[in-house]
Amino acid sequence: MNIKAVTSSFRQQGIQFLADPQWIIPSIIAPFMFTVVALYMYSGGGELDSPIVLTAVLGGGVLGMWGNMLFASGFTITYDRYNGTIEPIMMTPTHLIDVITGRSIWNALIGLLNAILVFIFAELIFGVGVSVSEPLFFFPMLALTLFSLASIGLMLSALFVLTRASFVVMTILEFPIYVFSGALFPISVLGKLEPISYILAPSWGVDAMKTAAVAGHESITAFGIYFDVAVMILLMVIYIAAAYILFGVIERNIRNSGTLVRY
Amino acid sequence: MTAEHEYPIVVEGLTKVFKPTRRSKLPEKVAVNDVSFHVRKGEIFGLLGPNGAGKTTTIKMLSTLLIPTSGSAKIFGMDTSGGDEKRIREMINLVSGGERGLYYRLTGRQNLRFFSNLYNIDGNKQDALIEKLLEIVKLTDAADIKVEDYSRGMKQRMHIARALVNDPQILFLDEPTIGLDPEIARDVRSLVRQLADSGTTIMLTTHYMYEAEELCDRIMIISDGRNVGYGTVAELKQMVSDTNIIEIVTSDDPHDTVSKLLTERRFVHINTERIAGRYCTRVQLKDDTDVLSEFDSLFSGYGIRKIGYDEPTLEDIYLSLVGSDEH
Repeated sequence: MNIKAVTSSFRQQGIQFLADPQWIIPSIIAPFMFTVVALYMYSGGGELDSPIVLTAVLGGGVLGMWGNMLFASGFTITYDRYNGTIEPIMMTPTHLIDVITGRSIWNALIGLLNAILVFIFAELIFGVGVSVSEPLFFFPMLALTLFSLASIGLMLSALFVLTRASFVVMTILEFPIYVFSGALFPISVLGKLEPISYILAPSWGVDAMKTAAVAGHESITAFGIYFDVAVMILLMVIYIAAAYILFGVIERNIRNSGTLVRY
Repeated sequence: MTAEHEYPIVVEGLTKVFKPTRRSKLPEKVAVNDVSFHVRKGEIFGLLGPNGAGKTTTIKMLSTLLIPTSGSAKIFGMDTSGGDEKRIREMINLVSGGERGLYYRLTGRQNLRFFSNLYNIDGNKQDALIEKLLEIVKLTDAADIKVEDYSRGMKQRMHIARALVNDPQILFLDEPTIGLDPEIARDVRSLVRQLADSGTTIMLTTHYMYEAEELCDRIMIISDGRNVGYGTVAELKQMVSDTNIIEIVTSDDPHDTVSKLLTERRFVHINTERIAGRYCTRVQLKDDTDVLSEFDSLFSGYGIRKIGYDEPTLEDIYLSLVGSDEH
């Protein structure tokens, strides 16, 4: 891995992100909307109790993080394709995935800002702050969950290299994570589809966060928070390895078909 | 000097076939068909041909962006699709003509730094390198301006600076002066010549014959993916030594007569251009009989200003080999 390429891509993504005033929409306005929707959805017009506030705010946070991550990952490749910079990147000795990794880390940090803003909006505007019983566990879990989302984004960005219809793919991929991660409602309600949640690293992160936040929360397994972390990290390693393999296969494919520069 | 250093580019039987996608109704396209050539170290090698002839596809195969269907393209003895792509990419670079290929929201300096990092260039050396490159392409004063505010010529010079960040031993230039005004195009040509003089091997595609004639040590002309002419300009002229060129300059447009002549098989090519208010018609024919009096009579109604035999230019050779019959 070319670390210089990763850090440089991180900086480049930051400069490009801040140069476009539209960044306010996904990073400030969207979290506010997520919070409003999640809180109204869970309140049902009545009072909000503490576990429901946690689910709503956590759900809003994960929604914000994933939405931001997915669209940023998809857009980054689409932009290079449209901008004609994908070929100069491919011509360098640096693997395309190193560039995407740097950008994904930036996107992850913006996703984290997104989640933090959800918590702040919930507290300041709706007066329903999240009380965390184990903050030393909760916040690292939040960061780890975010990076698990980033690792899914990295894997999916390989598909964005392959397709010109990235916006369609992004829209299709947005909702499964909302449903299967357990962020908005417990995965136990998914019935026969529940196993899908187990192969998604963020599900384990969300479970770990709930365990850290609510004393007495029943984890999805009997092993608790450390097991959640172990499975999440294992799944992230699998996603990243899959991303490397996918990028290799896809690079060969597009070098054969000559479809890299079509947009 | 080993063979791969004497000939850093060796191409043998290179072929690229684009297969139609499942949804595409287009037929299979043979973009490059059994092309072979080699390029010497420090040489400027020109690849000429009409649109869609396979020039860019050839350059993309040589620069590891495309995998050949058959044949081989070797850079310093390494196959461009044989697993040595990373090593090859450290030694080559590509400049494409046009406005795309740079990050518009970044300044020129930020673009160069980004690509320097992709080439893993030592951070301590980057500042000096970027300054030097900006100086070479005369963009020092615009270094901290966003590329979106650059003119077309500035963008093209920035493309060249970007392509020099890894000090490439081989530089591919795909129509580097397309759309540039004459002064900037001249600067770019001068820079290309300087790079070649300093030992960089250059492979150039262009539509401008005078550019190829001015810069290229050797030229290959391709048409429909096939090699139709290969050598120095003098050697290419030999290929059409049996062709006579007659140039007729007239005051009026000889369109009607030229249209009639185009139907005659004895003419290889006929082309009329309007230059400085006059019409210059160049006729290529494989006929060594004296036909001047015939042409004098055919064009007499258009106000002949000049008529006579001429030496073939690279453009004449190109048109003869490509077989175009545009008016």
